[in-house]
Amino acid sequence: MVSYLIRRLLLAALTLLLVTFVVYALIRNMPGTPLTLDLATADPSKRISKQEEERLKRTYGLDKPWYIGYFVWLRKVAPPNFDLGYSMFEKEPVSRSIAKRLGPTLLLSGTSLFLAYVLSVPLGLYFSGRSGRWEERTLSLGMYMLYSLPSFVAALMLLTLFYQKLGGTDWELPLQGMYSSNFSELSSWGQLVDIGRHLILPLACLTYGGLAYDSRFIKANMEEALRQDYVRTARAKGAGYWRIVVVHAFRNTLIPFVTLLGLSLPALLSGAVILEGIFGWPGMGQLFFSSIGRRDYDAIMGLTLMFTTLTLLGQLLADILYAFVDPRVTYR
Amino acid sequence: MMKRLAALFLVTFAATPMLAAKPEDLGDLIPKGFNPPTLAELEKQVKWVDRDVVDSLKLLRERQADEKPAGTVAQALAAKNVSPQANKAILSVLGRLPANEKTDVDWDAEWKRHINFDVKSTNPVLFSSVSESDVNGLTGFGLFSFDWNFNAFASSDTVKSWQSSEDHLYDKVVIRDDLVWSDGTPITAHDVEFSFKLIMTESVPVPAVRSGTDKLKYVKAYDDHTLVYFHQESLATNDWNVNFPVIPRHIYERTWAADPSLATSDEHIKYEKDPVSGGPYKIASRSIGSEIVLTRREEYYMHEGKQVRDKPYFKTIRFKVIQEPGVAFLALKGGDIDDLILTPQQWRTQTTDDDFYKNCTKVYDTEWVSFHFLWNCQNPMFADKRTRWAMTYAFDHEEMLRKLRYSLDPPANGIFHPASPWAPPSSATYIKRDLDKAEELLDAAGWKDSDGDGIRDKVVDGKKIKFDFGILCASRQDRIDICNLLKQNLKEVGIEVTVRPLDFAVLQQKLLEHSFEASFGGWGTGTDPDTSENIWGTNQERNYGFYSNPEVDKLFAAGRKEFDKEKRRAIYQKIHTLIAEDQPYTWLFYQNAYYGFNKSMRGYVFSPRGPYHYSPGSGSLWKPVMK
Repeated sequence: MVSYLIRRLLLAALTLLLVTFVVYALIRNMPGTPLTLDLATADPSKRISKQEEERLKRTYGLDKPWYIGYFVWLRKVAPPNFDLGYSMFEKEPVSRSIAKRLGPTLLLSGTSLFLAYVLSVPLGLYFSGRSGRWEERTLSLGMYMLYSLPSFVAALMLLTLFYQKLGGTDWELPLQGMYSSNFSELSSWGQLVDIGRHLILPLACLTYGGLAYDSRFIKANMEEALRQDYVRTARAKGAGYWRIVVVHAFRNTLIPFVTLLGLSLPALLSGAVILEGIFGWPGMGQLFFSSIGRRDYDAIMGLTLMFTTLTLLGQLLADILYAFVDPRVTYR
Repeated sequence: MMKRLAALFLVTFAATPMLAAKPEDLGDLIPKGFNPPTLAELEKQVKWVDRDVVDSLKLLRERQADEKPAGTVAQALAAKNVSPQANKAILSVLGRLPANEKTDVDWDAEWKRHINFDVKSTNPVLFSSVSESDVNGLTGFGLFSFDWNFNAFASSDTVKSWQSSEDHLYDKVVIRDDLVWSDGTPITAHDVEFSFKLIMTESVPVPAVRSGTDKLKYVKAYDDHTLVYFHQESLATNDWNVNFPVIPRHIYERTWAADPSLATSDEHIKYEKDPVSGGPYKIASRSIGSEIVLTRREEYYMHEGKQVRDKPYFKTIRFKVIQEPGVAFLALKGGDIDDLILTPQQWRTQTTDDDFYKNCTKVYDTEWVSFHFLWNCQNPMFADKRTRWAMTYAFDHEEMLRKLRYSLDPPANGIFHPASPWAPPSSATYIKRDLDKAEELLDAAGWKDSDGDGIRDKVVDGKKIKFDFGILCASRQDRIDICNLLKQNLKEVGIEVTVRPLDFAVLQQKLLEHSFEASFGGWGTGTDPDTSENIWGTNQERNYGFYSNPEVDKLFAAGRKEFDKEKRRAIYQKIHTLIAEDQPYTWLFYQNAYYGFNKSMRGYVFSPRGPYHYSPGSGSLWKPVMK
């Protein structure tokens, strides 16, 4: 197990280098630099001259070729510095930008992933148990419809209903952000309720798609498992229906489910770009999206590094979990 | 190979110098070899002429004294804005300053103001975007401004007297002695001199405000209140160059050299969050990506227990960042924001029902923001002005205005707005679609369909090329629609067009590199016609389409040096005519300023730069006491 882990970690380090190199090459070769937008938006009477642009490029190290830029970046992040650099737009170190958004992102994505998994397992089992009956058909149809409804459309519909139409009633929900403007004046309980009220709509929009997907995923895998010989054997020896479903079949659907779980680890922190934009949720998705638009190289690289690390960790974790859910899997 | 790798390693892993500067580098970009004379020497050699020191709110009050409101407030709030007459009536009532400040104004009111994007920096020296100028306009300290007619003046809020030398080479300003920064330190002339030097320091990454400031020879504080600006040349544009942001010397003199970026050191990060302001408001709190809250500064309008300046109308101004247009519109209707720029489509289709008028009203006014197709004059397809004119004749302006601008925006036909003094009086003629004329011009320029494939072609440098080009535009539906109309229209005269919507940064880069054939774009207006030289002058920064006319270049140079108002105006009118004849753009329309306001807002007065970006601008808005 230990030697396997070491091998995997070395491979992960190599992958990390490769991914960051490719991403750096891509973003530096994309048209536009962090200065491009400055050149475009300033007051017409206050323009950046060509000479000034050259000077700014030198200050920000953009005058050097991209491959040198990569090594400069690498030197900063590599031990012992561990410096993710400085975000030109957030006007603070990238590590601080990321840290600030960690809480809100985890609150939204974490709760959403948790809800999606916790609710999808019983739903999926229910679907496979009731497969083909009218109530399952109706619910499945509903799930398909939810899955195909774009979340930004749902977001605007929900906002129109809960912010505007129900405005002034007990059902009113806030439009934007994570806190009300009087947040600091509220009691601890009041603050909790305030965040909760802000969380409801983005959480609902972020979760329903995942819920629909996960429950269908479990149902499909369950149906596959229920057709297996060992299920027939279990049935033949007189095991009860729910015992067959939960103990015999469900355990065997856990392998693909664990893979899915491993793959969703990065999603935990990558946030939800569009929904965060609509609801003004101060999360990681917005940061990543706006960093790309503004060509904020250090911020993009810091986030890429974090997401890649998480993806690799997620896969490793899934591989280790396989050994627990499937006795046939061992690592040497 | 190994050597190169080793060199690369050395370049990257050898100790990189820390970004720091030496204190003596301050002002290293100021032209060398000039020693400012003493004030006594200067007074001996210079004849001063008094200039305007203006209270812009008083100026507006005087103007409004002659304008009669068309009805009562109740009538204006109940009215629907369905015609230009209704618009005028609503503006004349709700766009007024309070009749009685003591009884009418709610001095505890909050203005929940919408911005599309968060500010990148709260330091006025580092400003480069519209959001930043919105915030800095309220928190920043400045000596000069301009009114709705773009007349430059010194602000009586901060300046006692302003004089220019007869030869226009010097400006002398005496600033008031009752000014303090938000940390209690007095604001003096030395802050202005220091700010000038800091802006003119190479290691400080000043994105925008160095332009203009770099035309100054020197700025000297002779005592705490007396300042002299030394100009390099005697120019009509010198009035604009003296207008740069001022930051507190007592802070940045100490901190800038250790961190010339003004942004990365712990201390600069602290001031970025909680800046020391000199304007009517200061930043009370900020949550990145969502809001910035400003509060009124008591010490700005009160001095030693006496009121010395107009009290700013709002207790707090809360800037709310909402990027998603649909959400911003909901926020306006729900009262989460008090103002919002509307699109023509929203004006026509979403703001007509009772649901909108329950909490809001809307107004529009002319804004000098024009849109155009830009032709790359170095491309063989557009090098000949006859083909550029053919584009203008082939395009269906009427359909664009009616269908795509909802019959709301006026047409455009040249570089200056017809209402501006810089446009010739005869400029208000507009091109109507004329396909025969377009075809005639294309034929005359040698573009004919020689092979019968339906697309015009021409032999250029021995190679046959087809009249088939791509037009770039920002990836927004209203812009794509206009380009698609061009595509349809040009197909009728045998020209193939591909519409290429692009991410904004990519579009901007392509324009800067001149790597395009045609593009859709727009420009706002500067306060002086000279600011458009960088669009039309040969090889200038914003001259993306390589337009060049030596006569225009000469006229711009002459316009800067002309002090006689009438003669100067004639120069720019001539420039307007010459460029219109060359047709490097096909001018399309002016986009009016369409605003939705909460019914509690009053005092919105529009300039050619919208309701905020002039003086008094956002300073004239207020909320009434609810009776």
